[in-house]
Amino acid sequence: MKLKHSLFTRRQFLNGLLGGWLGALLVSFLYPVAKFIFPPYREPEEVILPLSNFKDMKPNSVRNFSWGTKPGIIKKTDDGTLQAFIAVCTHLDCNVTYLPEQRKFFCACHDGWYDENGINISGPPPKPLRQLLVVIEKENLILRKEGVK
Amino acid sequence: MSLRNIKIEMLAWFEDRLGLSGITKFLREKKVPQHRHSIWYYTGSAILLFFCIQVITGFMLVFYYKPTLEEANASVGRIMTEVPLGWIIRSVHSWAASFMIALVFVHLISIWLTKSYRKPREMTWMSGIFLMAVSLAFGFTGYLLPWDDLSLSATKVGTDIPRSIPVVGVWVTKLLRGGEDVTGDTLTRFFGIHVCILPVFIFILLAFHVYFIQKQGISLPLRAEVNKEEVKSLPFWPNFIYREVVVWLVLVGIIFSVAIFLPPSLEKEADLMAPAPEGVKPEWYFLFLFQTLKIFPPKILFIHGDTIAVFLMILAGILFFFLPLIDNKPVATKGKVITLMAYVFILYAVVMTVWSLW
Repeated sequence: MKLKHSLFTRRQFLNGLLGGWLGALLVSFLYPVAKFIFPPYREPEEVILPLSNFKDMKPNSVRNFSWGTKPGIIKKTDDGTLQAFIAVCTHLDCNVTYLPEQRKFFCACHDGWYDENGINISGPPPKPLRQLLVVIEKENLILRKEGVK
Repeated sequence: MSLRNIKIEMLAWFEDRLGLSGITKFLREKKVPQHRHSIWYYTGSAILLFFCIQVITGFMLVFYYKPTLEEANASVGRIMTEVPLGWIIRSVHSWAASFMIALVFVHLISIWLTKSYRKPREMTWMSGIFLMAVSLAFGFTGYLLPWDDLSLSATKVGTDIPRSIPVVGVWVTKLLRGGEDVTGDTLTRFFGIHVCILPVFIFILLAFHVYFIQKQGISLPLRAEVNKEEVKSLPFWPNFIYREVVVWLVLVGIIFSVAIFLPPSLEKEADLMAPAPEGVKPEWYFLFLFQTLKIFPPKILFIHGDTIAVFLMILAGILFFFLPLIDNKPVATKGKVITLMAYVFILYAVVMTVWSLW
């Protein structure tokens, strides 16, 4: 039955109402499912390491550390300062390694190369390696995300 | 009451309750055409054979395998060294996976070349493409489970590929990995996908695939499709089944020989913080895609090379899936362009695979 000025019949209206209600019910079930299957992830704001572990490093050498679930590399430059990189290739996420004799970072997965400052120079990597802010406070070496004070 | 009467009564009892006489009648009357392309008919059941081997050896491996970061690699080591005949079971599982995927490709190419996907068999083709995707997903998830160096890096690359798709890609990567990075959670998740989710999908798809084939009857070569009476045929039961059994026995012989003489190795346990080892490669059936990714430059104009590569792969997949609707010519037309495309595809896959091994 359809009233004179109505856009749809009573049946269409009720079907729409019921369908919409069922749809909303379905979404209310799917939402917790979606929430469940994506675990929360928080990248660390900073990582604090004892400075004494890095005091005896020679220029152009590296030490590893963990940045949450990612590997990190601390490198001593020729002038004695420390640089920290997230040692994950910007191409497809493989872990990179530092080759001191060539002064380059290397990713074995797809033959990606970065220079000693983590700048992508050859192969498929589209971006430089992510670098972390290095702060020395008393006996601690603090590594922070760029931009975090 | 004689034994014979008991048998007859038992059959009648089941018939009253299940009503399966329709199916047995169908199988008795089912005929398989015989012609010079008949050999391709055996590829389907050979895939099924390897699938059954996978199910049985998979059930066995799951008794000893432990899907956690701490224990996965060691438990595979234990299967290989301590569990009685464990090494053969793992070897057969690993080899049968390769054989199954190889036969899936052969099966697919044969149907592509003979144009058997044409009306009314479009949905058989489409369910087959889904089956192939699920088979590849089985291979991909299974590759990580031994949790060694190579499998970790291959999985890192594989799960990072969706990230180059804008907006949804990041979520696909997170969904696959169970987080931002490949961790122990990824291993446990892959195990769950490998032994719970994918089996459910493959059984449902297989049921549809087999039903479609029975519903429409087995396809004939293009010329024979027009005048059906010309083709000789063989009863499915028992003549064709006997021939298939011969093929299965030969294949079982081959798979066990290969599995015994060339068991898969187990590399050292994966270290999440260690640099990727040299020579990271996925399973052989992903090599042509792996090589495609490798040769794309980092940027084309202003877009990431990977994004373009992944988009091309997705596009190829979609075209592939809809092939029966794109090539919707009458059954008897030859379709030379489609044939040519099949050969181009084979050539591309072979060249890329060989190149990646160079």
